[in-house]
Amino acid sequence: MDWKRFDGVRHNVGPVHLDLVESYAQGRISRRQFVRRGAVIGLSVPMISAVIAACGDDDASSPTGGAGTPGTGSAPGTTPGTASGSTTAPGTGPATTLVGGTPGGIITVGAQIPGALDPIAMQDLGAYGLIAQCFEFLATLGDDGRIAPGLAESWEPNEDGSVWTFQLRQGVKWQDGSDFSSADVAATMDRLVAAANAGLAGVIEEGAVDATDPNVAVFNLAAPNGNFPALVSVFNAQTPITPAAFESGMTLDGAPNGTGPWKLDRFDAATGCTFVRNDAWWGGQVPLDGTEFQFFDDLGTMLTAMQGGSVDALIQFSVIGGDALLSSPDFKVLDIQTATHRQVWMRTDEGQFADKRVRQALALTFDRDQMLETLFRGRGNIGNDHPIAPFFPYFDESVPQRTKNIDMAKQLLTDAGIDGLSAALQIPNLQEIPELAQLIVAGAAEAGINLQIAQESTQTFYGSQWCPGEPADPPCSGAAELGIVDYGDRPTPDIYLNAALKTNGIWNSSQYSNPDLDAAFSEFQSSVDVEGQKAACKTMETILNDEVPVGLPFFYNFLSGHSTEIQGVRITGLGQMFLDKASRV
Amino acid sequence: MQVPPPDADGAAAAVEVDAAVAAGDDVIGEAGPITGLAYDMRGERRQAARERRRLLLRRPGFIIGVLIILTWIVCGVGGDKITPSDPLVPNDTSSLSPRAGHLMGTDQLGRDVLSRVMAGARDVLIVAPLAATLSVIAGAFLGLLMGYYRGWVDEILSRLVEVLLSIPVILMALLITATLGSSKIVVIGTVAVLFTPIVTRTVRAAVLSEAQLDYVTSARLRGEKGLFVMTREILPNITPTILVEYTVRIGYAVFTVATLSFLGAGIQPPSPDWGLAVSDTYALIPAGQWWPTLFPALAIASVVVATNLVADSIEAALAA
Amino acid sequence: MARYILRRLAFSIITLFLLVTVVFLITNVFPSDPGRQIAGPFASQEQVDVLNEQLGTNDPLLNQYGRLLRSSVTFDYGDSFQVGQPVSELLWPALGRSAKLVLYGLVLTVPAAIAAGMFAARRRNTFIDRGIVTLGVASSSIPEFVSGVALQYFIGVKLGWFEVLALAPRGSNLITELKHLTLPALSLLVVYFGYIARMTRAGTIQALDADYTRTATMKGLSTRHVMRRHVARNALQPTVSVVGTQIGYLFSGLIGLELIFNYPGVGRLIYNASTSKDFPLLSAGVILVGIIYMICTLAADLIIAWMNPRARLQVTS
Repeated sequence: MDWKRFDGVRHNVGPVHLDLVESYAQGRISRRQFVRRGAVIGLSVPMISAVIAACGDDDASSPTGGAGTPGTGSAPGTTPGTASGSTTAPGTGPATTLVGGTPGGIITVGAQIPGALDPIAMQDLGAYGLIAQCFEFLATLGDDGRIAPGLAESWEPNEDGSVWTFQLRQGVKWQDGSDFSSADVAATMDRLVAAANAGLAGVIEEGAVDATDPNVAVFNLAAPNGNFPALVSVFNAQTPITPAAFESGMTLDGAPNGTGPWKLDRFDAATGCTFVRNDAWWGGQVPLDGTEFQFFDDLGTMLTAMQGGSVDALIQFSVIGGDALLSSPDFKVLDIQTATHRQVWMRTDEGQFADKRVRQALALTFDRDQMLETLFRGRGNIGNDHPIAPFFPYFDESVPQRTKNIDMAKQLLTDAGIDGLSAALQIPNLQEIPELAQLIVAGAAEAGINLQIAQESTQTFYGSQWCPGEPADPPCSGAAELGIVDYGDRPTPDIYLNAALKTNGIWNSSQYSNPDLDAAFSEFQSSVDVEGQKAACKTMETILNDEVPVGLPFFYNFLSGHSTEIQGVRITGLGQMFLDKASRV
Repeated sequence: MQVPPPDADGAAAAVEVDAAVAAGDDVIGEAGPITGLAYDMRGERRQAARERRRLLLRRPGFIIGVLIILTWIVCGVGGDKITPSDPLVPNDTSSLSPRAGHLMGTDQLGRDVLSRVMAGARDVLIVAPLAATLSVIAGAFLGLLMGYYRGWVDEILSRLVEVLLSIPVILMALLITATLGSSKIVVIGTVAVLFTPIVTRTVRAAVLSEAQLDYVTSARLRGEKGLFVMTREILPNITPTILVEYTVRIGYAVFTVATLSFLGAGIQPPSPDWGLAVSDTYALIPAGQWWPTLFPALAIASVVVATNLVADSIEAALAA
Repeated sequence: MARYILRRLAFSIITLFLLVTVVFLITNVFPSDPGRQIAGPFASQEQVDVLNEQLGTNDPLLNQYGRLLRSSVTFDYGDSFQVGQPVSELLWPALGRSAKLVLYGLVLTVPAAIAAGMFAARRRNTFIDRGIVTLGVASSSIPEFVSGVALQYFIGVKLGWFEVLALAPRGSNLITELKHLTLPALSLLVVYFGYIARMTRAGTIQALDADYTRTATMKGLSTRHVMRRHVARNALQPTVSVVGTQIGYLFSGLIGLELIFNYPGVGRLIYNASTSKDFPLLSAGVILVGIIYMICTLAADLIIAWMNPRARLQVTS
């Protein structure tokens, strides 16, 4: 430990930052967890490097470069997090140095058909990916796969994490030529509050942003929040900054005016869209002339297009059917570790699963390793029936992992006085969920539980099986007794806990209500230090693992990729592909 | 058997000629409905039936078709009792190509494809014939009424039949399943309703040509009731036409039900249904895994070809 | 002839009216809450009510029925639930693309099938004849989506002869577009070749056996002359009729193919509308395909009437 250097760092950081630095210096959190968390709360990259250098770099890799391999469980040969072919100075936000590519030309990307391109209301990866081409976030995707300065150059919390100050980038212009300022940020946030954004609801209220200085946006939070920057980053997909004159309900194709590197040129909801380079972009000139997004109905067709050479890159593909791409020398896999998961919800308030022993029994029939192996060729992490993924800095590993145990499942059912349990398993026809459901049905059958799959289109499923609009109070009280629902990637587990597991959460399909969990969650949210968060997580993990309102067998990696004829492509686990550094080889 | 009338009856004509065509050759022309007075017809009919059976059993197409269908019935009835392994239980050996032990390979969840193809016969063999049967019963009833009574009922129903025929079955099925939700019952009902006009049209045409014949006229002159004439006089004589239509309908029902389950209507995983299997796995073909798709697809084709062979043979035997 | 056309047109209009009624009955007899479908499960009941008001789903059924009838004349079906664009703006371009595919499929299929059917008819009961008939039965039993996938893999991916996806890049010339459309068009051929060939064969056999043909042959006219002058004209009537009716059915076969080959045609549009319960788009799509079917059968009937004056007398079915 280089104490002198360490002291130098300590004098240059705020209290929340200091807390993290000390946690790391004292060995209470790992280097990876330190880097991940540091990026969230706004420690600059030089600062992170300095701390690690001061504390002695115990890992072989540097914290920034290509070491985006947080957590465990990634298959060899993949580069989670870092989805970049070329490298630029890490952490400096977008920059357009072209390394070894040919400037000019266009790249064609295979994407799923987007829903309406309304940045505030969109819910699907297709729309996320297109919106992120034109509009930009306060915090964007860094080369290391974590959040990095975007429209904000830096951010800093006050002492208790209740006020966050974002220094905005200067000289940024909207594509119509007007200047970008903090008024745009304030207006965007008000729109998000009005739309009850799942990540910001309860965190900020209307008028939260003080825009007195056009170059500074000061957020006054409703309550202290240690994870705030992540909630206004690219990882909360609905939060790109739109012009002050924008209104809720306006769409990108209706009002194409962002700050980003690409301008929407042509949009056709059925076939695809094209973007041209924005020469006035603050990040300088991008190598490509333009990009084209081709829309596909399903991943299988997209895969065929990739193999037939019709597209250069894929937003997403699945392991099942994607074997050929995974082993192809002409294809570069972008494998991003995410908290994407499926929840097998069980009604805790009524019906056959109201007894927690029955819920435990079903969770005990999951062969989690087999699921991860069969469905994802092992690309992901095993889950322990709670949404706190093992690579989150505040994950507590002391809660024992539940594994398949048919005898114990049968015993629990006998104890609960259940004989011949039979139930319908409600699922949407979405990605691998039908396959997962079949694995669950087969496992359950071993313990004598008879499940029948009831599959619906996604729209029908969300509106009638999962969270029907009626009865509206409490939310989701019309949910089926058993089903599988999908949750996308988030940089923190706040949304999963807030919406699905907290009492009266808007997506609480298991109708779970436990004051102890609610208290632990509040504690987690208001903690600004890793240790406090970790302690709260231990409580939540223990409660959820024991009571099993949801079975959560795994978290899986987001798979994207491109042909080796192009380079410099980065992508988030939410399907936002960044092509500002991309070029043909 | 009618000559394909050069009128708007595309669909009906198509079906009729269709059967005639493959059956062979000289069947074009009047199939010669058995004429004569009602009282001496019974014995004649029995003798003709014996003769037809003998002819049928001598046609290789019929034997092959029946054997294929019987094989699938055995598979469907036997279910997981006769499959090499459990068609529903996944195991660790996923996506194996065909080999000893797994003659058709294993699918993406490690289930034995051969076992699934065998067990998958059950759904199709229940849903498709049931739908075809319902449509034939309803179609025969309507066709008899329309053809016998004519008049304004016939006019209105004919227009309605024409409308239903103008909407491709699959589109109508999508419209109905979108409104009603999708279940096996809905699929059976939809296919039955959509096939009914086609049967109606064929039966009506047959009734029309029968109604002009002497035996019908004489029955009428004897003062028989309409119901009696329709069920006792006309129906036995158009039974061969209905029978052929029935086998042809079963073939189309297999095709339609398979297409609907490919489009996600009516059948739920982990059912080993063939159409569902194809739609679940076709995306794997570019990855080189053709076996979970190809074998169920061949199974679908085999059932349709087999029912066509049987239909053609029956047609030819009746014409002889 | 003019009288025949007029009567035939009148029938088509009555049929169209009944079609709209059937579609209306199916989509409105059963309870549904379109406003809730669009606004999503978390929208407040007020929002849902406002949407239902805008969509007119709260109006009396008769008013809604009137509106649908009017829409079928003006082809203004309002906005799609899911995409938010006017239905007609979505349907027309999609229909254009599908028509291109169907037309290409027919150009590939019909001449080949007619040639094969006539060939088989003249070599009745030979090995070749049996082969063509059996192949025809077998290939038309395979659903389009199955043959589509097989062609896509073997010809598109393995051999690399044609593009694996049907949509050519914007601004491509006709040759490139056709290259993209070849595999789905071939899949249509697999299904409809056998059907049309068998119809032609049956018609040809009938014409060959007919008295006029025997007379012509006995008069000592050359086989070629007889085939062209006497047989073809009569033999092709059922074929024309079948091609006419099959075009409507082709559009339903397109659904699977347009999904597999990622072609944004009318089949895929209707399929997506059905899974997302986008009723304005779905109803409009089904009615549109029904209209196409009627136009095609009408055209087929008129052609037959022109070929065979006797048919003009048999207007009612």
